[in-house]
Parts: sequence; C-alpha cells; structure tokens
Amino acid sequence: MSAPLPAQEQAKAEEQKLSPAELKKRAKAEKQARRAAQKGGQEQDGDVGASATAPNGVNGDSNTTKHDSGATQQQHAQKPKGEKQQKGQQQQKHGRQGAQEVESHHKRTGSQSQPLPIRRRPSQSGAPPVVQKPAPKKINKQVELFSHLYTQPRRQSIEGVSKDIHPAVLALGFQMSSYEICGSSARCVAMLLAFKEAIQAYTTPAGTSLARHLTSHYLSPQIDFLKSCRPISESMGNAIRWLKKLIVEIDPDTSEQDAKDDLCERIDTFIRERITVTDQAIATSACQQIKDGSVVLTYAKSSIVERTILEAHTNGTKFRVIVVDSRPLFEGKSLATSLMHAGLEVEYLPYSAISHAVKQATLVLLGAHSMLSNGRLQSRVGTASVAMQAAKSDIPVIVCCESVKFSGKVALDSIVLNEVAPAEELLLPSQSASAKPAKEDTSEDAEAKPKSLSDWKDIANLQILNLMYDVTPAEYIRMVICEYGSLPPSSVPVVHRLANEGM
Amino acid sequence: MPAPVVGQTPSLTTFLKSLKHSPIETSIELLISLLRRRQISHSRPCALATAHLLLRVVAAERLKPTTDSTVAALRLIERIRDVGRRLVAAQPREMAVGNIVRRVLGVVREVVEEQGDGGEESSGGGSEPMSPLAPAVPQDLRPRPRTPGDATPPNFDGPSDIAVNSRRPALASSTSYAGQGPQSTSLLSFLEHPLGRSPTATPSTPGTPSRKSTQDKQEKLDIKAEVIDGIKELLDELEVVDTQIAESALEHIHSGETILTHGSSQTVQKFLTTAARKRKFTVVHAEGWPNDHEATHATIVNGGGGTGIEDEKWKPLTSMGVTVILIPDTAIFALMSRINKVLISPHIVLANGSLLAAAGTSTIALAAQAHSVPVVVLAGVYKLSPVYPFDTQELIEYGDPSKVVGFEEGEFVEGVDVGNPVLDFVETETVGLFVTNLGGCARGYLYRVVADHYRGEDVDLSAAAAPNGKTVA
Repeated sequence: MSAPLPAQEQAKAEEQKLSPAELKKRAKAEKQARRAAQKGGQEQDGDVGASATAPNGVNGDSNTTKHDSGATQQQHAQKPKGEKQQKGQQQQKHGRQGAQEVESHHKRTGSQSQPLPIRRRPSQSGAPPVVQKPAPKKINKQVELFSHLYTQPRRQSIEGVSKDIHPAVLALGFQMSSYEICGSSARCVAMLLAFKEAIQAYTTPAGTSLARHLTSHYLSPQIDFLKSCRPISESMGNAIRWLKKLIVEIDPDTSEQDAKDDLCERIDTFIRERITVTDQAIATSACQQIKDGSVVLTYAKSSIVERTILEAHTNGTKFRVIVVDSRPLFEGKSLATSLMHAGLEVEYLPYSAISHAVKQATLVLLGAHSMLSNGRLQSRVGTASVAMQAAKSDIPVIVCCESVKFSGKVALDSIVLNEVAPAEELLLPSQSASAKPAKEDTSEDAEAKPKSLSDWKDIANLQILNLMYDVTPAEYIRMVICEYGSLPPSSVPVVHRLANEGM
Repeated sequence: MPAPVVGQTPSLTTFLKSLKHSPIETSIELLISLLRRRQISHSRPCALATAHLLLRVVAAERLKPTTDSTVAALRLIERIRDVGRRLVAAQPREMAVGNIVRRVLGVVREVVEEQGDGGEESSGGGSEPMSPLAPAVPQDLRPRPRTPGDATPPNFDGPSDIAVNSRRPALASSTSYAGQGPQSTSLLSFLEHPLGRSPTATPSTPGTPSRKSTQDKQEKLDIKAEVIDGIKELLDELEVVDTQIAESALEHIHSGETILTHGSSQTVQKFLTTAARKRKFTVVHAEGWPNDHEATHATIVNGGGGTGIEDEKWKPLTSMGVTVILIPDTAIFALMSRINKVLISPHIVLANGSLLAAAGTSTIALAAQAHSVPVVVLAGVYKLSPVYPFDTQELIEYGDPSKVVGFEEGEFVEGVDVGNPVLDFVETETVGLFVTNLGGCARGYLYRVVADHYRGEDVDLSAAAAPNGKTVA
C-alpha cells in the first residue's frame, strides 16, 4: 500500500503541518514544560510509570459506546507490548528506518526511561512520538497544488505509538482514520469522551500540579496522536482550546481526584450544552423551514440535517427528501437508510444528478465541517457545487451548524485549508466487480493486458486527488442556523467570538 | 464512448457486419432494437449505424426506370423519412440518428435541385477547374430556385449566402469561417461539384456522371448514385470528424495550462493528445461517477481509441508527458479556481447552443461560469441538432440505477427511490466557444451553422411529407 517517507522529509512534513498558531501554542507548551521540569526533575519517573500502567487498567471499562471494536483490537496489540515496548519498538525501527530515525528514536525512548525531562521534549512537542507507517509516496504522486496538505500518511497501525497514549484515544484514532467515526461533531464528542477517560487515568506526578502538567505532558501527546490519524476538525480544535483553558484555570488547591472529576463533569456539560442540546435546538429551529410539500435536498450526511428532517417528520410535516451522494465515502447512503427507516419518502441520486435534484428541490439543507469567519462554509467536498446549483436556481440554501464549528480562520478557496485523503480510496473495489479484498484482486487484474487504475503508482504523470472538503462561497448561502439563531453568513465571526472566544 | 466490444455482444461492429448480408428490412429492425436496448448508444456510433443503414436503404431502393427523376426522388425521400421516423421513434434521445437522417434527406433534395436547374448551373460549376481546397459549403435553407433572384451582397461573410449566390467564390470565402477549410469535407458541397472532392474523401464513383449528359435514363441512375455518393461523403465526415476537431487543438491550448475535462470522450482525448504532441500542460480529469467512471479510468490509464470499427488507438496522455490528475466529480468546484479551460464533448448540441451532455456537465459548466473559466465545447457537425429545446426534461435520459446502488442492497433499493440520469441539460449561456470540425464558432453564430446543414422541410421528421411542389419546385 504505502511505504515509508524518507526520515528527513517526514520531519519536514511534521514541521510544515503546524500553523503559526500551533507553533505559538507549541512554544508555550514547551515553556511550560521547561518550567515544570525545573520544578521537579524526578517526577518524570513516576509519570512514566503511571501512564505506562494506565492503559491496560482503564481499557476494560472504556469504550463502551462506539469504541468497542477498536478497543479490543487495541488490547491484543497492547498486551504483548506492555513490558517490552521499548525493545520491540527499537527492533522494528531498526528493521525499517535509516540510522537517523533510529537515533532519534533512541533519544525518545531513552527519555522515557530516564528522568531527563528536557530530552523528553521532542516527543511531546509537535512530532508525535511515532514512527510513520511505511508510505512511499513518490513525489510525483502528490498533486503540486496541494503539496502543503500531504503532511504524512494517515496512521493505520499501532506500531510505534508512544505508550503514553491512552487506549481510548488509540481506539478513537483508528476509528477516525478509517471513517468509522466521521463528521465534525461526532469526532469532537468522541474525542472529548476519550479524553475524559484519559483524564481519569491520569495521575499527576509528584512535584508538579495537575494544571501545569496535564495539558502539556499528557494531553498534548494524545492530541498529536489523533492528529496523526487524521487532521483534527475545527470543532475538535475549539474543544481542545476550551479544555486547555479549563485545565489552566483549575484551582491548584483542589485535590487531584476532585479536579479530575470536575474536569470530566465540565466535559460532559460541554458536550451537552454545545453539541447535544444545541443539535436539538438547531433541529427545532431548522425544521420550521420544512413545510408541507417541501422537497428537501441534502448532500452526503450531516447529523444535524438528519435530526432536522426526522424532527420535521415527527411533527407530521409531509415532505420529500432527496439525498445526493458521492464517491468514495457514500455517507448519504446511511442518511438515506435512516430516513427510509423513519418512513420518509427518500430519493437517492448520484452526484452527477445534482442539476436534476435541484430542479425538484424547494430547500437545500447542508451540514458543515466548519463555518469560516468570512462567511464561507467548509464542508464535505462537493457541497459547494450543490449550493451553487441551488443558488443559481434560487432555492434557499440553509446551513445547520453548531457554534462549536465556527472558526476564526478565513479562506477564499478550497486549496489552502483542506485535507487530502488517501488516493487509494478512489480506486474501484476491484475491476472484476465482485470480490471485496481489493488489493489482491486488482493486482491480478493488472496482469491482464490493459492496465487498471490500481496501477496508478506505476504510471508516470498520473495523479489521483482525493480531497475531503471544499469551501462554499458565502453568496450561495441564504442562512446559517446555529443555536444562537438564524443568521446570514456574514454574522459568523460575531457568533464565533461570542461562543468560542468569549468564554 | 462505450468500452471496447468483447465477443459477440450486439454492438455497432456486429451490426455493421450483419448489414452486408441481411435483407434491408431485417437490418432496419435490428438497428431499431439495438437502439432500444441501448446496445448502440452515444452520438457517433448511432450516427455511423444510421448512415450505413441509410446507405443500404438507398441502394436497395428500386426506382422504376419509367418514373421521372423528381418522382423518384420523392419516393426516395419518402422512404428515408419513413425509415428515419422509425429509427428516431426507437430512441428519440439519440438525436444523432435524426441528424443523420436529416442530412441524408438534404442530400437527396440537393441532388434533385441540382438536376432541376442543372442546365445553367452545372455548366457554370462543372466546367470550372476544381480547387483542391474545397471546404464545406453549407447549404442554405431556402430552396434553390429562389437564389438567382436573391440580392446577396457579394462581400457578405456568411458563406452560405455566397454559396447560394455564386458558388465558386463561396468556396474560398467560407474558408475564413471554417478556419481550416482544406480538410473540411461536407458532402453537400461535393454533391454540387462532384469533381471537387477533397483528397480525404473516398473516391466513391470516379466517373461521377456529369450533368452535361442528361439523358432521361442516366438521370434516374444519377439520383441514386449521387445520393449514395453523398452518404459516403457523410460517412467519411463521421470518420475524420474527431481528427478535424483535434486539428485546431493548438489554437486553443497553450503550454502550462490546466485543463479540466470530464468523462471518457474520445473527441476530447484526441484533442488533448494532439495538443500534447507540441505542448506540455496539465489535465484535471473528473471521472464521471456513476455512469462513466470506469471508461474514464480506462481512458486515462490505457489511452483512447479502439472502440469503433476503424478507430486507431492512441497512447494515454500520461505517456506523452502530460500530467493527468484524476479527481472525483465532487472536487470540481474546489479546483475550478485553478483551471484555465474546460473541455466538454456533449452528446448533442441543440439549435440554440445548449447542450445535452453526460450527467454532471451542468455542474462543471456552472462552476466554470462562476469562476469565469471558458468552457470549450467540442462537437462534430453531426452532433448539431436542429431541435429546439422547449421541454428540457423530456430530453433527459435515465440510466441503470444499479450503477448507483447495487441490487444486492435489496432493502435500500426497495425503500429508497434511486435515480440515475445519464444526461444533463446545459444552458447555452455557460458555453464560451464551440469547436466543430469546421472550426470554432461562438454560440451566437451556431444557429447559422445548424441552418446550413439541415433543410427546413426536414427539421420535423415526424411531420407528414412536404407537398411535392415545395420540395422540388
């Protein structure tokens, strides 16, 4: 599938990935860490021990919700690693990477076992303490225009993951990289739940305080791990910022357990207030836009849109839904299925049929990945065309979006801010149609005379681009519904300040 | 265009083979069923099949030796109309069928008119030395007899008007409009000047009967022979149309461009390949899920060609040093801001310049318009249809929904209405330029090109035959 980036390139990619804001954050974190380290050098030992033992202990009762499959896999992988992790990791690396990589790794593992706080920093700042999964992307396979987005291949295996990473977070990471948990809100909620478990499993090392140590030394690696699985969404970013602020503000006098309980409770409140109840409020408000006889057009899948439609249906409104879907994720299929089960009249159209869908529609409801401060909507790739077609036919385009997804960033096009998903997702399951295990099947086909697309890596000059998001111009959006009410896209920065920065 | 044919699946190839040795009525029925079953689909295969069939129909028509030429011609027209009606009724959305029928009808009318006033005109036209640069001389809609009286300004640039007025100068002047006159072959012009075939034309009947020997019997034979010649010219045109379009590639593509295209059109591929021989550029290729993505992938990976009967194959663009970026259709809007040009090859161009093209094209065209990116439409003249789109919805064809959701997902298919439109209607406002085998033209001029190729009487095929006087008088 994929093989390793050269070590230097990878390191570079790591650097590039960080935005200035993140760099600043990182610098701050480092400073904090240094101070913490100066305070008590020896605590590191305790810390390492705690986090090393934590995983297995918590694993059992974690992941009750969605994480099950991931968690069990996780356990299998984790146990053998438990004691010998250091050794095993090193061996693996010796096998695959160049000397450089091994050396840097030595440093890292060394720091974990020795009480040398300063040397620990490389692992906690920026670079996840990780060796990348092999991924030999030839340079010419990256679309030049998007070269800034090819940071690193998504992590698909547990190999080389630092033992600090809490199993719940580990499981979540893989669920995110495989789209099992997909969607901005879902990822945000799942992350907060995982963090709750991680926080409960955390013990403050002696000589430092929870407020000072938790974020930089414990949460940051977890976040970095999640980032390595899939770039985090705006809602996750907002939630993380909120959580960090919360941790810093903890009264140093509170006992550790109290502080942790408090944090967990606050996280629950956050999820409830900012997402669960908000979704309900938005759905209630948005479903008033659906009238009897309406034809609601939606694209891909958004949980709020689903909720809105279901609520309108429960209210007894008679209307029809058109779900437009696209390759490769087919998210709309699950939306159509759930609406079908609810007894709605659903039409399912491929992406090529937007113009036909728009002809029938009276209302377009869209979900969001993020609302940008210049009023533009960042959402699943393809949303912009749907909104454009609708706007050209004068059909109202309404975006349902929690304020936690509002962002301070601005973007004019879909190129600077985006995420590139693995191109392999776009390959057809297999040319001979039936069999699922794609890899072997396609390679067999390839031996037959005409080449197939799955040989794309061997074909010079051929690139496959699989974007995740696009940016919809504000002029296509008639209204944004968030928990603060219905607003024009131009009011997004106001709500963002109010909701995400004013706290 | 469809993927290469395997085995004995009914297709254009098998149809053309069977055409040679089956009775004419059987062939007609076969084509009708092939069209109905969509085993011949897309404009070019349909056009080819229709032209070949009509060739046989005309050849098989027995004109009584006693009948005078006009009557014979009328019978021929009636026969072609009848076959055409049946073909069109079989698959009304394949408008290329109707286009070819109309053009063949035009050929017949042309021949009749030639003979009607053959006296003066042929002596003038036939005796002049033939220029090898005989380009397309589109025919005017007006019946020929009125022409002598018509006051057409001699320096008016419309080729057809000049063509009507004095034929020889028209050949020269129309080159400017055609842009690449020398290669253009329009059968109609050659019918008027049977000796003036361009080198690319098939040498169908070396001793084309000259109008000077106008004995009665000869005349009757002439009608059939000349119509057959005309259809052969038409077939030639269909053969070379993509190449002719591709010849103007260098006028439209410069180095370093980023070009977006969609689906697996061979016309576009040929166009790009021609440009790639001289220039390096980038192609962003949208795959056209769910109807065309497999063919698109195959085209990108293996190159084009080899689909028709006599098509040559050519290398994929990637092997010519052109970077090809495959994207799903969803990413079109995201990338459009970086695209310099959009190339589209529609199924049909309607009389007002709007297009029927593969589903998804309308999104591309609108996105291009939103980003002020020019949309270049590549279409052979045979794709220009005189049909005016009053009801766009009825032109749209719906395809196999199992391409969207497989029938193995029974519950889903049962409970959800799955649709799969194959065609999109694209408004003419989104199109920047049409490139036909006669050269480029703006959408405002397109109606003229359409009018040049079809007779007014033939636009409505389903209508009863025109009264005799009108056609021949």
